[in-house]
Amino acid sequence: MLGSFFNIDGGYLEGLCRGFKCGILKQADYLNLVQCETLEDLKLHLQGTDYGNFLANEPSPLAVSVIDDKLREKLVIEFQHMRNHAVEPLSTFLDFITYSYMIDNIILLITGTLHQRPISELIPKCHPLGSFEQMEAIHVAATPAELYNAVLVDTPLAPFFVDCISEQDLDEMNIEIIRNTLYKAYLEAFFAFCKDLGGTTAESMCEILAFEADRRAIIITINSFGTELTKDDRVKLYPKVGKLYPDGLAALARADDYEQVKAVAEYYAEYRALFEGAGNNPGEKTLEDKFFEHEVRLNVNAFLQQFHFGVFYSYLKLKEQECRNVVWIAECVAQKHRTKIDNYIPIF
Amino acid sequence: MGSFFRSEEMVLCQLFLQPEAAYTSIAQLGEMGVVQFRDLNTEVSSFQRKFVSEVRRHDELERKLRYIETEMVKDGFEIPEAPSDTKVPNPRESADLENHLEKTESELLEVSQNAVNLKNNFLELTELRHVLEKTKGFFDEQESSAHGESGKSLIHDEAGQQSTRARLGFVAGVIERERVPAFERMLWRISRGNVFLRQAELNDPLEDPTTGHQIYKTVFVAFFQGEQLKSRVRKVCAGFHASVYPCPHLPEERAATLEGVRTRLADLNMVLNQTQDHRLRVLTSAAKDLQMWTVMVRKMKAIYHALNMFNMDVTQKCLIGECWAPLADLQRVRQALADGSKEVGSSIPSFLQVIDTKEVPPTYNRTNKFTKAFQKLIDSYGVSSYGEVNPALYTIITFPFLFAVMFGDAGHGLIVTLFGLWMVLKEKSLMKIKTSSEFWNILFGGRYIILLMGLFSIYTGFIYNDVLSRGMNIFGSRWINPYNATTLSDNENLEINPYEGYLGTPYYFGIDPAWMLAENKIIFLNSYKMKMSIIFGVVHMIFGVCLSVVNHRHFGNKIYILLEFVPQLLFLVLLFAYMAFMMLIKWWLYGPFDEQRWSPGCAPSILITFINMLLQSKSEVLKGCETEFMFPYQYWVQIACVLLAVLCVPVMLFGKPIYLSIKNKRALKRESLHGHENPQGIELSEELGLNPEPAKKGMGGHGGHDDDEEFSFGEAMVHQSIHTIEYVLSTVSHTASYLRLWALSLAHSQLSEVLWTKVLKIGLSIKGPAGPVAIFLIFGAWACLTISILVLMEGLSAFLHTLRLHWVEFMNKFYQGEGYAFAPFSFKKILKHESSEEDA
Repeated sequence: MLGSFFNIDGGYLEGLCRGFKCGILKQADYLNLVQCETLEDLKLHLQGTDYGNFLANEPSPLAVSVIDDKLREKLVIEFQHMRNHAVEPLSTFLDFITYSYMIDNIILLITGTLHQRPISELIPKCHPLGSFEQMEAIHVAATPAELYNAVLVDTPLAPFFVDCISEQDLDEMNIEIIRNTLYKAYLEAFFAFCKDLGGTTAESMCEILAFEADRRAIIITINSFGTELTKDDRVKLYPKVGKLYPDGLAALARADDYEQVKAVAEYYAEYRALFEGAGNNPGEKTLEDKFFEHEVRLNVNAFLQQFHFGVFYSYLKLKEQECRNVVWIAECVAQKHRTKIDNYIPIF
Repeated sequence: MGSFFRSEEMVLCQLFLQPEAAYTSIAQLGEMGVVQFRDLNTEVSSFQRKFVSEVRRHDELERKLRYIETEMVKDGFEIPEAPSDTKVPNPRESADLENHLEKTESELLEVSQNAVNLKNNFLELTELRHVLEKTKGFFDEQESSAHGESGKSLIHDEAGQQSTRARLGFVAGVIERERVPAFERMLWRISRGNVFLRQAELNDPLEDPTTGHQIYKTVFVAFFQGEQLKSRVRKVCAGFHASVYPCPHLPEERAATLEGVRTRLADLNMVLNQTQDHRLRVLTSAAKDLQMWTVMVRKMKAIYHALNMFNMDVTQKCLIGECWAPLADLQRVRQALADGSKEVGSSIPSFLQVIDTKEVPPTYNRTNKFTKAFQKLIDSYGVSSYGEVNPALYTIITFPFLFAVMFGDAGHGLIVTLFGLWMVLKEKSLMKIKTSSEFWNILFGGRYIILLMGLFSIYTGFIYNDVLSRGMNIFGSRWINPYNATTLSDNENLEINPYEGYLGTPYYFGIDPAWMLAENKIIFLNSYKMKMSIIFGVVHMIFGVCLSVVNHRHFGNKIYILLEFVPQLLFLVLLFAYMAFMMLIKWWLYGPFDEQRWSPGCAPSILITFINMLLQSKSEVLKGCETEFMFPYQYWVQIACVLLAVLCVPVMLFGKPIYLSIKNKRALKRESLHGHENPQGIELSEELGLNPEPAKKGMGGHGGHDDDEEFSFGEAMVHQSIHTIEYVLSTVSHTASYLRLWALSLAHSQLSEVLWTKVLKIGLSIKGPAGPVAIFLIFGAWACLTISILVLMEGLSAFLHTLRLHWVEFMNKFYQGEGYAFAPFSFKKILKHESSEEDA
């Protein structure tokens, strides 16, 4: 029943999104891209794809950063177009997607100011999807409380930030904690929102978000080894919406080294597979890449169902992965470092 | 024989170009647009081809041109069209062009950079001026309030007051208007309400130097106390992109600064004007030739794209390419190659060699502006197979005619004709209007079709005697009223007996206008139009079947004429043409003045007779009529027709498969006798050894066997039985399908009549002073409805039905439509394509 009314508000945008999705580079395109000798070749090949003439107005020689910017610009334009045409509840859903970029931007700016970088140098590095009005004045804040009271209170991130106010001052450690606390709150809120939407949206999105939560929990645990983060503090950072919750998270909280994390993952079929294939030796894929691959798989699956919002999220994530791939290939081409050029993560 | 009868004869040519002459030769060919190059490097990816660097260079040139163009558009320049005879520049000229563009671009970049800098300066000064002017009020207010306070204050000495004011710091600046609320809130938050903000909106928008957009801004002054707060306020200002300006504390100093700023602004304005003038000069000199350059660059790029399809000879001495060209244009192609070589003074001529191939050549129908639209109608069904008979030729007449049968109204036809005529007469000026409106482009493309459709509609309209649903009594009706006035006024309905009312000779042209008043007009017209539709349909289909003879002859399958065409034609003629013949003979034989035997009452129903003929049953003979038949021996004739027609079916069904299997057996026998190899083929392949692939194909072509794949009798049988069943069934269904001619014609005349009686007639019958007003309004409504419903909607529907009758009922009988269109390498097409892409 939900499906039959979906097209009234979301039909156009879903169709648009699926159309955009068809423009995602295929395996054949990647095979051609990795053969490129120079960035000019890369440009010429990308002209034959859905990217069209996106680099046509750039004077040569091309730089990788220009390609990166242009790729991102195209994605942002597409996303903004969909956001501008969206109505409730899709508009809130799309806003939720942008919150994660806002969190990243805030953390970036605070870290930057902590290292005495001028704000004008940091702004271009922020993701355009996560920009908000008060963002550039963020450096007036010296403590989390100030940050909240002066800057964030007017942004949609305010409710996520409430848990962080207690921290004393902004040092590197605290910023990391703030980031993860924010992210945890964000993921939980997003998860609850998708659950409320119900239907296919809930089905597909909760799956993806649960994986995202679990990934964060595992990465936080692995990264916390050898730092001064206590186990109690660590537990507070775990998003409680994944499949690991509650037993797996409890076990993770007790973990002391990588092997123990792996042991926890053993209990979960999909994560076991990821850990088994991962390694740091050359020729093996890193755990991070494995996670990315799994994420891509989940996002591709979102397109198998119709009448839900998951496609928008998945499209954005897949396209981001594609940008990463193209930039990776471009970097390898530019630095003549061809041995690792195949380390991109194919999407289709 | 005219080339429109079937598609142009094509040959595959191999081009051997000297590298130095390649560019000019291709340029010549591009201007002519008569050859289609084949890509010989399909397996090479686009960035590994030979001339990729040239293509890239021209991409870069295009980018520069686009940059210059956007700069011109920004300044509102009119860019003149390129002259139509823009030639491809030779390589030396192209280098000059490149230099020139490079220079223009860098000059323009520099000028723009300067302008942006100056404008930035200008913007800052303007903002400062506004800050100084607007804040004056705030400071005055503060001053006065300070004085007022000082009246109440306990400490009265001047020095003390000076110090309090000094401690109250302030920041003045300009901020974008839409950011003001957030800015204000932020200031309040960081200071816990200890900042006092005053603002004044600037009425005139300021120009953003980099983008040229107009932005509305607001001047603000923030008052606060203490150094710490000052730094934070400044940070917020930076965060909100507010430009902060130094503003002196003392009113006198402020006045002095303002004066200074004003003079500097005036100076800057002068410099700015000069820069603008310089920029205009650069752009004006570029604007003149911009389009010409664009055309040149596009042509050069196209040439290199074409050259990328060529192969390099092993010795690197010449470029080898393959192309399809119409046989008739071969001489021109040769001439182009010679001209190309001559232009660069090449000692060794480029030459062209026709090679044999087994591949199917592209279909190329040479059209002119009149036949083009008709060819399009056919091509949208399917491009005809190479060498197949081209139905477009016959469509030129049959299409408008069948349309007009459905759209038979002289009034509506006149409207269509006038519209078509207008488009045809204004062709040249209308052609120049470039619009992306698909609707208009379709209408304009089909202007000759529309004109013909209109003319034919007028003709059929007069035959139906329908002008805007009214009948015209032009030649005088051949019916007279036999009743006197009292009988007429007493009776509602009266019948006119032909014995009394009919004058004996028919109305000279079309339907007698007397029928327009008759109650049984529709019954009369239905019978007439229905029969007419069937007659047209049968003739049209027989013509279609006959066209297949031409195809069989052309493809050398003369035996199929006997095995397929003859039984098909017999089947159609014996059953359906016979039915049409009965209709005609019935019209001819029966009439009201004839004796009882030939009176209308005795005329048999054609449909019933036809069914009886097929089922071999008999119907009752009416009283007074001697027989159910129209002519002697009709019964035997009919039996003979049915028997012959039935006998045709097995011929159609088994003829072709049996013939094919016999032919196949013979070929196998011959092969085993002579061995498999063919000496001629080997010789040829050696000759063309430098390009083995086409040579192989050439050898195949000399092999002389039509079917490479295994012949299977079962498959041929299944194929043929499907064909036969389809044909037999289709003769019935297609004949019935032609009844749409009657149905649409009926719908059209009824609709227009309804519109007349229910709309315009009401307006005409209003009496008194309201009448003229009412008729004015109602005529408008009637005219609108006539145009929109009767002409546009009905016209479209009739058009589509006509299209269907051609595609399905007519072309089905002979048309394959499995070819692919000839796409010549032509600059004209490339330029047109690119400009239409830009519009979109």
